[in-house]
Amino acid sequence: MKNISELTDYYYKELFPLLQKLETDRTNLKHRVIVVGVIIGAIAIIIASILKSHFEIVIFAYIGIMTILYKSMTKDYTAEFKQGVIKPLIGEIGEKLIYSQDGYLSELIFERSTLFNKADKFSGNDLVRGEVDGVNIEFSDIHAQEKRKNSKGGSELITIFKGLFIVSEFNKNFIGKTVVLPDSAQGTFGNIIGNWLQSKNASRDELVKMDSVEFEKEFVVYSSDQIEARYILSHSLMEKFLQLKNRSQRRVSISFVGSKIYIAISYDKDLFEPVVFSSLLDHKTAMEYVKTLHLAIGVVKELKLNEKIWSKK
Amino acid sequence: MSTTLIVLIVIALILVLIYNSLVAKKNQVENIFASVDTVLKKRYDLIPNLVASVGKYMEHEKSLLAEVTKLRADASRPNINEAQKIALDAKVSSALGSIMVAVESYPELKANETMMHLQRSLNEVEEQISAARRAYNQAVTDYNNAIEMIPTSIMASIINYKRKDVFIVIESQRENVSVKELFN
Repeated sequence: MKNISELTDYYYKELFPLLQKLETDRTNLKHRVIVVGVIIGAIAIIIASILKSHFEIVIFAYIGIMTILYKSMTKDYTAEFKQGVIKPLIGEIGEKLIYSQDGYLSELIFERSTLFNKADKFSGNDLVRGEVDGVNIEFSDIHAQEKRKNSKGGSELITIFKGLFIVSEFNKNFIGKTVVLPDSAQGTFGNIIGNWLQSKNASRDELVKMDSVEFEKEFVVYSSDQIEARYILSHSLMEKFLQLKNRSQRRVSISFVGSKIYIAISYDKDLFEPVVFSSLLDHKTAMEYVKTLHLAIGVVKELKLNEKIWSKK
Repeated sequence: MSTTLIVLIVIALILVLIYNSLVAKKNQVENIFASVDTVLKKRYDLIPNLVASVGKYMEHEKSLLAEVTKLRADASRPNINEAQKIALDAKVSSALGSIMVAVESYPELKANETMMHLQRSLNEVEEQISAARRAYNQAVTDYNNAIEMIPTSIMASIINYKRKDVFIVIESQRENVSVKELFN
C-alpha cells in the first residue's frame, strides 16, 4: 500500500490535468453560487421589508432554498470530482477496491455494531468495498439520526453518528461481544467515581478494566466476556487504537461482534466532498482527502488484520 | 427510639452490602481462575503432541523435552493450589519458549505441516492464556484493594479474607513476536 507522501505525489502529478480543469469549473461555480446567493438574499430582504415581521421564517426559508439550490448547482461538479479524483485515489491505494459514489453501508451493519442507538433516519454516501491484503473491508460516510421529543412537544432529528464507518473481518475467533467507547466519565469525574458510573451503564455489558493506563484514560470497554475482551484487546492492539485516536484527533468507537470489527470515526462534516470556496490544488485540501482515505483503508495494515497467525484462517 | 432503630437498620444494611461486595469479589477471582485453568489445560494438552512431533528431529534438546513432559505431569496432579499452578505456568511458558527458539535451527521441522498447525494452535492458546491471566490479575487487584482499603478491610479481617497472588507477566510475553517470526 502506498504511503501518504506517494499518494500526495499522485494527487499533484497524475491527477493534475483533471484538477486544473475542475479548478476552472470550480471558480465559475463559485461565482454563480455567490450571484444566486445575493439575488435570493435581495429578494428575501424585499419580502421581509414588506412583511415587517416573521423575520425568522424568512431567514429559515432563505437557508432552505439556498441549500437546495447549492446542492443542485454543484451536482455535476461533485460527480466529476468524485469519479475523477476520489475514485482513482482509492484505486491507487488498493487495487481490489470498488467505489460507489451514492452507495453506503447498510443500516443492518450499523445496527449490528451495537455502537449506537437504532437510527430513525439513516443516510450516507461514498461506499468503498473490497479486499486489502486478503482481508475484506467496507466503509462509507454515514449520517445516522434519531427522533427525539423536544421541549416544545414536537419531535426533532438529532445526530447520533456522523462520519466514517468501517467494517472489516477480524483475525481472531471470538464468540461474545466487546465494545470500546470513548471515555467521558473517567475524564470528567476522576477514576473512582468515573469507574463506578461506567460500571452502572445498564445498556451495556460488564465493564472491563484494562491493564493499560493510557488506554483506560481514553476508552472504556464493555464486554460479555472478561477474558475474551482481553484476548481481543492485546497490549499491541490497545496501543494501535490509541494511535488511531491520536492520529485522527476524533472520537473513535470500536466494537467486535460476530467475527467482525466495526470502527466508527466521528467527523463533523460530509467526507470526500469537493470544496467550492477554496482551491482543489490547495495543499491542505488535498491532504485531507488523501489522509482520510489512507486512514480508512490503512486500518487493515495498521491493526494487522492481515496477520493470520492464529488458528482462524 | 425510632431514630436508634433507623440508625441500626442503616448500619446493618451497610454491613450487609460490604460483606456482599467482598464475597462477589472473591467469587469473581475464583470464577476467572477456573477459566485460567481451562486454557492452561488446553495448553498442557498440546504438549504431548508437540513433544512427539519435535522429538524426531531434536537430538540435542532431549532434556528440554523431558522437562516440559515432567512439568505437564506435575500440573495434572489433583491436589495443587492456585499459587502452585501460577508457578508451574511460568515454568511451562519459559520451557515452551525455549523449544520454539530451538525449532528455529531445524529448517525441515519448521516447514513441517503438523508443526505449523501446532504452532498456530500454540499461538492461540498462548494468547488466550495471556488474556485469562490479565483478567485474573484485574480481578485479584480489585479483591486485594477491597481487602486493604477502609472500610471493607475491617470486614475482610473479620471474615478472614487474605491477599491473593497475581500472575507475573514477563515483559517478553507481552509481545508474541518470537513465535510469529517462525512463519517468515
